[in-house]
Amino acid sequence: MANGLASRPELDRDRFVPRAGLVRGWVDLYLTMFRVAILNNIQYRVANYFYMIGMIAEPVIYLVVWSTIARQEGGEVGGLTPGQLAAYYIVWTLVRQMNIVFTVYGWDERIREGELSAMLLQPLFPIHRDIAFLAGWKLVTIVMWLPIAAVLTLIFSPALDVRPIDVAVFAVAIWGAYLVRTMLYWILGMASFWTTRGGPIFQLMFTAELLLSGRLVPLSLLPDWAQRLADVLPFKWTFGYPIDALIGQLPTGELVGGLAMQLLWIVVGVIGVRVVWRVAIRRYSAVNG
Amino acid sequence: MAGREPLRPFVLAARFFRIGALNELQYRANFAIQVFQSAIALGTGLAVLALVFSQTTALNGWSEPELLVVMGVHILMGGLIGMVIQPNMVRLMEDIRRGSLDFVLTKPDDAQVLVSVRDIQVWQAVDGLTGAIVIVFAVAQLGGAVGLGQALLFGLAFVLGGLTIYCFWLILTVGAFWVVRIDQIVELFEGVYQSGRWPVTIYPGWLQVSLTFLVPIAFAVTVPAQALTGRLTLGTLALAAGFAIGLMAFTRWWWRFGLRRYSGASA
Amino acid sequence: MISPQTSATSSEPAIRVAGLRKTFNVPVREPGLRAAVRSLVHRETREVRAVDDIGFEIGAGEVVGFLGPNGAGKTTTLKMLSGLLYPTSGQAFVLGHVPSKREAAFLRRITMVMGNRNQLQWDLPALDSYELIRAIYRLEPAAFRTTRDDFIELLDLADLVHKPVRNLSLGERMKVEIVGALLHRPQILFLDEPTIGLDVTMQKRIRSFIAEYNQRYGATVLLTSHYMADVQALCRRVVVIHHGKILYDGELAQLGARFNATKTIGVTLVDGEADLSAYGEVISVEDGRVTLRVSRAAAPEVAARLLRDLAVADLTIEDPPIEDVIERVFASGSEAP
Repeated sequence: MANGLASRPELDRDRFVPRAGLVRGWVDLYLTMFRVAILNNIQYRVANYFYMIGMIAEPVIYLVVWSTIARQEGGEVGGLTPGQLAAYYIVWTLVRQMNIVFTVYGWDERIREGELSAMLLQPLFPIHRDIAFLAGWKLVTIVMWLPIAAVLTLIFSPALDVRPIDVAVFAVAIWGAYLVRTMLYWILGMASFWTTRGGPIFQLMFTAELLLSGRLVPLSLLPDWAQRLADVLPFKWTFGYPIDALIGQLPTGELVGGLAMQLLWIVVGVIGVRVVWRVAIRRYSAVNG
Repeated sequence: MAGREPLRPFVLAARFFRIGALNELQYRANFAIQVFQSAIALGTGLAVLALVFSQTTALNGWSEPELLVVMGVHILMGGLIGMVIQPNMVRLMEDIRRGSLDFVLTKPDDAQVLVSVRDIQVWQAVDGLTGAIVIVFAVAQLGGAVGLGQALLFGLAFVLGGLTIYCFWLILTVGAFWVVRIDQIVELFEGVYQSGRWPVTIYPGWLQVSLTFLVPIAFAVTVPAQALTGRLTLGTLALAAGFAIGLMAFTRWWWRFGLRRYSGASA
Repeated sequence: MISPQTSATSSEPAIRVAGLRKTFNVPVREPGLRAAVRSLVHRETREVRAVDDIGFEIGAGEVVGFLGPNGAGKTTTLKMLSGLLYPTSGQAFVLGHVPSKREAAFLRRITMVMGNRNQLQWDLPALDSYELIRAIYRLEPAAFRTTRDDFIELLDLADLVHKPVRNLSLGERMKVEIVGALLHRPQILFLDEPTIGLDVTMQKRIRSFIAEYNQRYGATVLLTSHYMADVQALCRRVVVIHHGKILYDGELAQLGARFNATKTIGVTLVDGEADLSAYGEVISVEDGRVTLRVSRAAAPEVAARLLRDLAVADLTIEDPPIEDVIERVFASGSEAP
């Protein structure tokens, strides 16, 4: 009986994919997670659709207010016509879906329900779980979004003038936005390791984001100082930039520059997640387990 | 029973408020948090108004102080919803789902009244207060004196609006629990309720109709705001009153109907 | 020649623990508003020693029962050994790894099952979650399938793994959960109350599965359970812990001898019942059968006297039930300084 380990060294070798398959291992992990997420999403497709439709109220309100102003002010506000505003807020609905990441409020439950411990027992840095799962989820969401976009287009007749390069950059940028926001909210959510009253901190962040990301209004409508502030914060790259990339007729330099900024924020995010995670887990391992 | 004692609901509500307050006073930190959150929400609202009026001088005929009135009413009504209506409806839906409504049905008070006032979120009163302050401030900015008559009209329109929103929630709660999850209804409502930050008259026709009769935001926010800004016509007020009374009658019937179904299912 | 990739050599025990300690700082709340305000600035805390200087070694392939009342420090110890908790001081080595470093190579070789842990996707059939586990642990597909199908067959899960987990009963869920926890064929199993809340048949099922896994793969098992039946069926050795200290570490069979210096003698007399209180403490009198409790040392002599003095139809000498023994151990432990 006590011979287990010594006599079975080959166990390790036939169980695990050898190191040469490292890349394949990651691809396999993400694909498997996509599958799980898609199956999950499809199970609740009716409720999810309902939810997506509910989320349209917000941009429709913004759109109505700003196109009313544009019409009043001789057909333009801050250089945007009602048609351009309509385009902005319709693309908005997809970017908003891409912006959905693991909620900052979820950490408290993860800690309380022991879910975090289960994650810590697995040989995988847990953020991959969240990234892969919600990315798979969004694959379904994008398909479900198309009819919504069609209906909104019929109602609000947006002015669309899109070049192939815009589409290409947009297709990359929405995923860049997703990654930046995932890491931002991971770092923020980890406040739950220190306090159960994270609400006010979270809300401050939501508000800053609402105003400075392009979610509330296109950033060009903000006063200069606010626009400059938005430039140095990550929010804009998760919301306003992808929308403008598709419909804003940006010069190629700005299109590519935006992707570079996303990359920069992703790098910052990775470092931030690593650092905060290490401190947070040290704290968790000291008291909770 | 409700007919014989018309003030009974308010007496009960006051009693539950007292209990809630006594409970909550132990958690003063929640008060601080609520003040903070109300302040942030107010700041956001003011920032949006400032943005709008940096681009224009009036929105569809509404001046800045007038829109501030709308915002104040929106916050005030939001406080009422968050304090009384929403928590009770969320709890009712949970009770229906778990089959634990029997505890309420066996009490000697009118069940509809009881399920509507038993859970009161005390700190939400902060939102109500914020709304009231904003209204007072905005009315002062309007310059023209708001007479007693206008104030009374506003009070009436606000009560009618509150009742209408309450009926809307109860109808939804009784009717929709098997379709969707409650947190989704809450989220959906909160999304749509944001439309009330602006007078519903700015929305396109089909949306105006929906926001008046489907989700009665117009009666809850716009009409009371109209009363304070001298826009309220007798016709609109009559419509608000008629709609509120009709909806209350329907809600009563719908509640009884739902209750019969509930008893049938749990027996 | 390629040397085997195991960190533990045959001379090294699978688990080695020395001077392990874990203290928690629990906030002390005094009543009143003033104290509450003061606590915002300076929090007064009290030190609680959950695990207080324990040490043991467990050899590869051993199945050891970890016994103790609630709050004795069992779960805390398991969490330290699986890397979820940092020890306050002392050493723990598991397969040559320091658990708190949580190296991937370490995590791949252990598993921890907790009563309410759920690593399965709630809305999907367990099979889908198993695929995910395969991807996370990077298991070689063919070996994974063999293992999975073996386990499914052993626990008779063929139908259950196709149903969404939310539709399974508690016991069924525990079975699919345990399979999920063992798919990567860990060498060390930390099982914290694996059978809690399950009915007797299900407990037996899980117990025999754990035994089978241990036999087949020579895995080391450290198990806590409220059910003595689990421990008796699986563990030859037990470690008894109380107030964070080890009270006993040795063979389960010897536990009685060590802590319970009593035996029970059952006597059936030919001519009905009689008052036997002169021979020992009478525990029960039932259907003409008298049960006596006597000290372990005196048992043979009392039995001889009974046989000599009375017309005995039947006489048995037994160890008391293990539950009673454990109770005594804890009772003695709490008296100890």
